[in-house]
Amino acid sequence: MLSEKSLKAIAFERSKYPQEEARSALLAALRIAQEEQGYLRDELIEYVAEILGLPAIQAFEVATFYTMYDLKPVGRHKLCVCGSVSCFLNGSDQIIGHLSKTLGIGPGETTADGLFTLQEVECLGACKDAPMMQLGDRYYENLTPESLDALIAQLRGGSEDVR
Amino acid sequence: MPHIEIDGQQIEVAAGTTIMEAAESLGIYIPFFCYHPKLSVAANCRMCLVDVEKAPKPLPACATPVADGMKIATASRKAKMAQQGVLEFLLINHPLDCPICDQGGECPLQDITMGFANPHSHYNEEKRVVEDKDIGPLITTEMTRCIQCTRCVRFGQEIGGIKELGATGRGEHMAIGTYVAKAVKSELSGNMIDLCPVGALTSKPFRYKARSWELKHTPGICPHCSTGCNTDVQSLGKEVLRVLPRNNEAVNEQWICDKGRYAYTGLNAPDRVTQPLLRDSQGKWTEVSWAEALEATLAGLEKVLARHGADKLAGLISGQSSNEELFLFQALLRGLGSPHVDHRLRQQDFRADAAMPLYPALNMSLEELEREPLIVLCHGFTRHQQPLTNHRLHKAVLNGGKVVSIDSMRQDFNFPVTQMVAEAGEDLALYQQLAGHFAHVHEEKQTDVLVHLAREMAAADNPLILIGSALLHHPQAADLLAQVETIAELAGGRIGWLAEESNSAGAWLSGCVPQRAPGGHLLAESGLPAGACWNAEMQGFILFGMEPGADSLAGAQAVQRLRDAEFVLSISHFSNEARQYADVILPMAAFAEGSGSYVNNEGRCQSFRAAVKLPGEARPGWKILRVLGDSLKLPDFQYNELSEVSAAWHHAVGDYDMDIPPFHAFPTLGAAQPIPAGTLLRLGDWPIYQGDPLVRRAKPLSTPLVARMHPDQARQSGIQGEAVEVSTASGKVTLALDLDTHIPLGCIWIPLGYPETSGLAAPYRPCSVAMAALLPETQRAS
Repeated sequence: MLSEKSLKAIAFERSKYPQEEARSALLAALRIAQEEQGYLRDELIEYVAEILGLPAIQAFEVATFYTMYDLKPVGRHKLCVCGSVSCFLNGSDQIIGHLSKTLGIGPGETTADGLFTLQEVECLGACKDAPMMQLGDRYYENLTPESLDALIAQLRGGSEDVR
Repeated sequence: MPHIEIDGQQIEVAAGTTIMEAAESLGIYIPFFCYHPKLSVAANCRMCLVDVEKAPKPLPACATPVADGMKIATASRKAKMAQQGVLEFLLINHPLDCPICDQGGECPLQDITMGFANPHSHYNEEKRVVEDKDIGPLITTEMTRCIQCTRCVRFGQEIGGIKELGATGRGEHMAIGTYVAKAVKSELSGNMIDLCPVGALTSKPFRYKARSWELKHTPGICPHCSTGCNTDVQSLGKEVLRVLPRNNEAVNEQWICDKGRYAYTGLNAPDRVTQPLLRDSQGKWTEVSWAEALEATLAGLEKVLARHGADKLAGLISGQSSNEELFLFQALLRGLGSPHVDHRLRQQDFRADAAMPLYPALNMSLEELEREPLIVLCHGFTRHQQPLTNHRLHKAVLNGGKVVSIDSMRQDFNFPVTQMVAEAGEDLALYQQLAGHFAHVHEEKQTDVLVHLAREMAAADNPLILIGSALLHHPQAADLLAQVETIAELAGGRIGWLAEESNSAGAWLSGCVPQRAPGGHLLAESGLPAGACWNAEMQGFILFGMEPGADSLAGAQAVQRLRDAEFVLSISHFSNEARQYADVILPMAAFAEGSGSYVNNEGRCQSFRAAVKLPGEARPGWKILRVLGDSLKLPDFQYNELSEVSAAWHHAVGDYDMDIPPFHAFPTLGAAQPIPAGTLLRLGDWPIYQGDPLVRRAKPLSTPLVARMHPDQARQSGIQGEAVEVSTASGKVTLALDLDTHIPLGCIWIPLGYPETSGLAAPYRPCSVAMAALLPETQRAS
């Protein structure tokens, strides 16, 4: 279900913790699984639990607790807009509204072409440059409707490097 | 030791004590939901917040260890504000459905709200709704009522061995459930109902039957295994409505298993007898008066005695009978001159009878089991046979002990157990090998698991060897017992017995074995043991509280003999089976309807009282026996009160020890009955909910009848599909089949205790299998 590389990475994470503390490796193992497969479907969560020798429910508890785990398929680009205090005061609602209008989807939804998923998330710790969002493993800060339009055009054009 | 003050009261407690525990010892009540003394501390309900001097915020009493000089206020303004705030938040999402909630009246949330809440809520928005989960026929879920205390989850993980339950989601979306729909399967699952502080988990069979305050409580003793759990039988009018555990730290702590909790649902089975039944010459059953039934009984017994002599009369009594009933039963049979009295339907090899102890005693207290470092189970699957004794073994493992099981198949324990499984039919060889390995324990090179076990046993200080009930089911039981004794001697260990039935110990003590009188006194002349009665041309039988077809290893043979006998009296609760062979059926008080006493596995004598009135014309067992004895003009049957019978029992049995020699000297055993080689063997045991007439009739507990076979064996036997036809010397039957790697090769596992399988030959006998057509859906419904 997972590639050799992911299995190796999970085994490495597991080796960081004592014999009886397999649970400690769960967060990392689920992240590795999600990175490879895009999202965590039930069988994948069960599989990760099995690799670590844990009851499946413990993996489900963790996977459903953290919002950064995706339990449903997500688009090629996941736009995670911060909606916490600093960003909210600096107009995150308008940012989300603009994205919704441009992409034609609400928060938590994915565009029909499978390119974009829009999510509202909690504080990502970049308050000084609010409003901000995370895309892939990068932060995009001081967002304006214009900067968003440019970014989306770039992404639609197939560009991976959008800095 | 820290010296602290709670609400102005001084107390000195051991370091590490929590505020909750310290307050409890002072008799100060702190409200709580998630805290439970038998479970780990979660501190997630926040109800027990208290005001600690110098602490900036209120602290949870259940999770805060005391420190020297701590000054705690449980009812200061700050503490009260905190408690009110927590309650207001808990009630935000809790429905106001107390009037239709089964928990109403015994609900901590209701009580604590009445005692601690601010009557005004700030919340006007919508409440959340949580989808209910279907977790089986025993527990109703109403998850909207859940306050996420996680007691059920912790119980499952820490005590019940339930690995399916958890809390998924976060914050307001957190919900208790199984995520992927699954039934919760644990023999202890019902305890989650008692633990749930709200009405989220309630008893399904009890649903909407009564309000808790209408129920009458009667202390009872569970009749379904030898642990002797203390119960609280709750009834309304003539009906038992539920059975809950009664606290007894020494026996069942505060738990009971689902068998003890739900077996009462079988009391009103359609074939319950409430009126004496008589079979006429055409074989038709009619309800008659007691006078007529007694007349027919006396005539029948006298005919057998006159025509064939007392030696052709046998008496078999259930091991669930009370001491008083057992005592009168043997007095009746022996008074009539018959030496054939027994309760051991589930034994086929009686060669070691002379070596048997005074009674099957654990030889230690249940609490002491928790501290054993090494326990070897010999054919004992305690999880299903004695669930609460099993819980003590679980605790022994949690305390760092080790449990090893030697058995004829791999068992599904709910804690780590090292399992040694015999090859098909090679049980004796396995024990012999183990005994032999004690000579090699010092040879480092030996890496065999059995040698390792021998080494561990030899190294352990006084390891504990427990003899399970399945050992006695084996056709070579006597040889197995002799090996167990040898092993104990070689290992320098102790032996304890896991008695099979709730009053097996009482049956031995009361003289319901053919070779011993009450008190264990050896009789000059021994009668035939139960198993031998089926072959001995017996013409008269008195059966008490049992169904030999489903309750004995040789069901088919038993039923055949009973049919052929001239006169069979069945003193019984249910009539389905007895109608096949009996001549008279006398209706007897069942669970919760009679009083008496049991001796549990430890040797602890515990008495119980009748909770409800007898249905119809049913009478307490001891009264039926008394009337029979009296009418047959036997001496010493002039009892008017149960207490007189109890006194006579005590006098006859005398004082017995709780710690007794596990064996007397073994007789010369002679050749063992060989186990056929080179053929498929039938294995089997009584599943947890098939073990006695009452629990078999408990609908919510019923489990589908399924044969089990190793997938490789099925392939080898050419079996494909979901059904199999099993043929043995005495009969054949078509059963649903599960493939299960727990079953050794060369065997098929078929449960006992089902009417459908009672025609098959006993376990360890040869059988053959053939492909069968798929069963209709109704037979495979799960």
